[in-house]
Amino acid sequence: MPTEGTLSEAFLTEFIDDLYAEYAERLEFVQRDLLALETLIGQPLSDKSLLDALLRHLHTLKGLSGTINLKPAEELAHHLESYLRAVRQEQVELSVADLEILITGAKELEQIITAHRTQQALPEINSTLNALTLALSGTTVAVSPKPLGGTVITPPPDLTVSEQERFNTAVQQGFSWWQVDFTPSPNLAERGINVNMVRQRLEQLGRIIQSKPLIPPAGQGFVFEFLVATPPANTDFSEWQLEGMTYTPYSSVLPAPPSQESKPATHTNLTHDPPDEMLLTLNNLALGPAANLVRVDMARLDELMRLIGELVTSRARQENVVKQLKLLLPSAQWRLLQETNLVLERQLRALREGVMRVRMVPMGTAFERMKFVVRDLIRDTQKQVKLELQGQETEIDKLVVDRMMDPLLHLVRNAVSHGIETPVERLAQGKPAEGIIRLQAYTAGEAVIVEVEDDGQGIAIEQVMVQARSQQLLAADATLQTRELLELLCRPGFTTQSCPDLNSGRGVGMDVVKNTVSLLGGFLTLDTKAGQGTKFTIQLPLTLAIVDALIVAAGEQHFAVPQLSIREVIEVETTAVTQLENNEIIAHRSEILMLVHLTQVFGIPVTPSRKKFYVLVVGGDSGVGIVVERLLGKHEIVVQPLNDSLVQVPGIAGATELGNGKIVLILDVAQLGQQPRNFR
Amino acid sequence: MKHILIVDDSITMRRMVKASLRSLENTAFEEAGNGLEALERLALTTVDLMILDLNMPDMHGLEVLKFVRKHQTFHNLPVIVLTTRGDETNRTTTVAAGASYYLTKPFEPKVLAEQVQQLLISSPH
Repeated sequence: MPTEGTLSEAFLTEFIDDLYAEYAERLEFVQRDLLALETLIGQPLSDKSLLDALLRHLHTLKGLSGTINLKPAEELAHHLESYLRAVRQEQVELSVADLEILITGAKELEQIITAHRTQQALPEINSTLNALTLALSGTTVAVSPKPLGGTVITPPPDLTVSEQERFNTAVQQGFSWWQVDFTPSPNLAERGINVNMVRQRLEQLGRIIQSKPLIPPAGQGFVFEFLVATPPANTDFSEWQLEGMTYTPYSSVLPAPPSQESKPATHTNLTHDPPDEMLLTLNNLALGPAANLVRVDMARLDELMRLIGELVTSRARQENVVKQLKLLLPSAQWRLLQETNLVLERQLRALREGVMRVRMVPMGTAFERMKFVVRDLIRDTQKQVKLELQGQETEIDKLVVDRMMDPLLHLVRNAVSHGIETPVERLAQGKPAEGIIRLQAYTAGEAVIVEVEDDGQGIAIEQVMVQARSQQLLAADATLQTRELLELLCRPGFTTQSCPDLNSGRGVGMDVVKNTVSLLGGFLTLDTKAGQGTKFTIQLPLTLAIVDALIVAAGEQHFAVPQLSIREVIEVETTAVTQLENNEIIAHRSEILMLVHLTQVFGIPVTPSRKKFYVLVVGGDSGVGIVVERLLGKHEIVVQPLNDSLVQVPGIAGATELGNGKIVLILDVAQLGQQPRNFR
Repeated sequence: MKHILIVDDSITMRRMVKASLRSLENTAFEEAGNGLEALERLALTTVDLMILDLNMPDMHGLEVLKFVRKHQTFHNLPVIVLTTRGDETNRTTTVAAGASYYLTKPFEPKVLAEQVQQLLISSPH
């Protein structure tokens, strides 16, 4: 007898994290696809793959909701699915207003699952349910699709309705046609060649119109047959021939048996549109074959990273021993030892990079969420904003992305609310009515740069100065440089009507943006021009935990300085230093560097004065240089954060063990760079 | 050793099915995330019983089921169909297509385990 039971708590607890993770993943797809639906409004519904994907994800979400007995989510997912199915069957025409309801519904679905996870009260969804029911009540009779003219390709007789639609679309676009057969075998499967992989490959080449299993004449096993449409360009299947696949051009009513048909593909020559790239991307992005993906708990990766960290330390220790042995061992033997040690170092680095790659995720998912935010923000305003995304494929440590989510949201929100002007204002200034917010990510060496740029009104520096003076943060006669402006904006509690830190209302201000970035070992810089726009640039480390560092000495104390955090190291003669009020400054590359002595900051006894010292120029544009007396070398260090609040010292990011058993402190260079300013 | 093939596009569902069946002795699991992959698993490995979801990306579960029933090697394979509550595909259609048993999600782990055990005992393999 069928049972509709509820699962026991204990049983569920075991899976709840998996379930949340899959839920979130699918919700992300739903939200993205809903946004993509917008472009289809008012268009004839020729391609339904997007709707099919949406329906599938919603269906699974419904099932997952039911599993945890989360009735409101189950009901909501069901309603969303019903409405979209009606659109799919052309009983309802999608309107802007209805899409809005769908998007709200998806957001509420997210709220419900979040509330369930954090054990909060569930949000109210009745109005969305009612709206969806109402939207469905306007059901119209299906209109039969327009017939296509002038095609010589005849579809196979057994296409389903949706396959027929895909077929028609591809015919209209003048695609070439192929019949591909794949016979799985244990031998191929061992080499990773299986039906999922074949399908993935084919989807990269073009579109799979139909896929079906066949029973071969011998009656043993299966053959998979794919009808594939490829963009009208040369498609080379040759490298596949040996691997269980046969391909034949397809051009007749009845699919010919493999390897007998050798006519060239017939081009329909109707149109030669470029391949629909968005479609291809969507196919590639769809939840891939489950067999090739493993979901791994972050804690396990952290543990792996920790172990590698220990290895790095041990190897450094070994290197020390090797150095000491140089005088004791015959040189041939010592060289052998030294070589082994170097090989080990290289391998360890490769291992570390390998694990790092596992932890990396593309920035794209974070960026996609911003589309939602922007959409949400401009709905109630007159503003027109276009969000441009670049470098979504840039990869970065998962932890870093997660931490950066809120700060990015804040910057984007600011750009919309305070950066971009209303269309009227923009037109008056000779700008296009639609404002542009550009989110860009790219890799630069061991760092990832993320830029949030708008072409809005810029930050009114005068107004900020007025406000700062009134709050006694800035001396009456002092003026602000851009970098000081940023620091001021990032002070907790500092607000003006025109600066970015206003009514964010969600617990994140510019101070949190700055703190998060600096906690992650990165830098935040600001570039703003009145009337032209504002650009925030965030430099983030690719990964945490293990970094390359310079070991330096101030007095008798040694410090490790993460290499990424400094721009350059310069040698300076004592005579080059100028005394200005209480500060020491030097000129360097047409800018002024304010010097910070570690001996002063940490109260270290000064060794007898020398003629020369070294200045570490702090990254970003802080204009600060850190004075050290000696450079001791470069090391791969494992960052151990100092968690004890008693030993938390400003300017110190953590500690690390060098191979010689010595513990050195790691400088928080960004913090040291926040020099006493005239407004403090 | 009995081999059970679990076909569902949700990885969480597959895991839950597996966990429901861990009390069974001498069983091994195969998994597939879509219809074609399921058939490939059938062709390449020994499968004694299949647990099949209906709503899947490429090939509807009902199609997979019909196809299995047509195949000379697999037509006797016990197949338990698992569907989401409220699906349009009803029990009669599913059983007519050849399902050995029919369960709706959320399912009771014990009921699933009992059914699997019964079907495995009575199956010719």
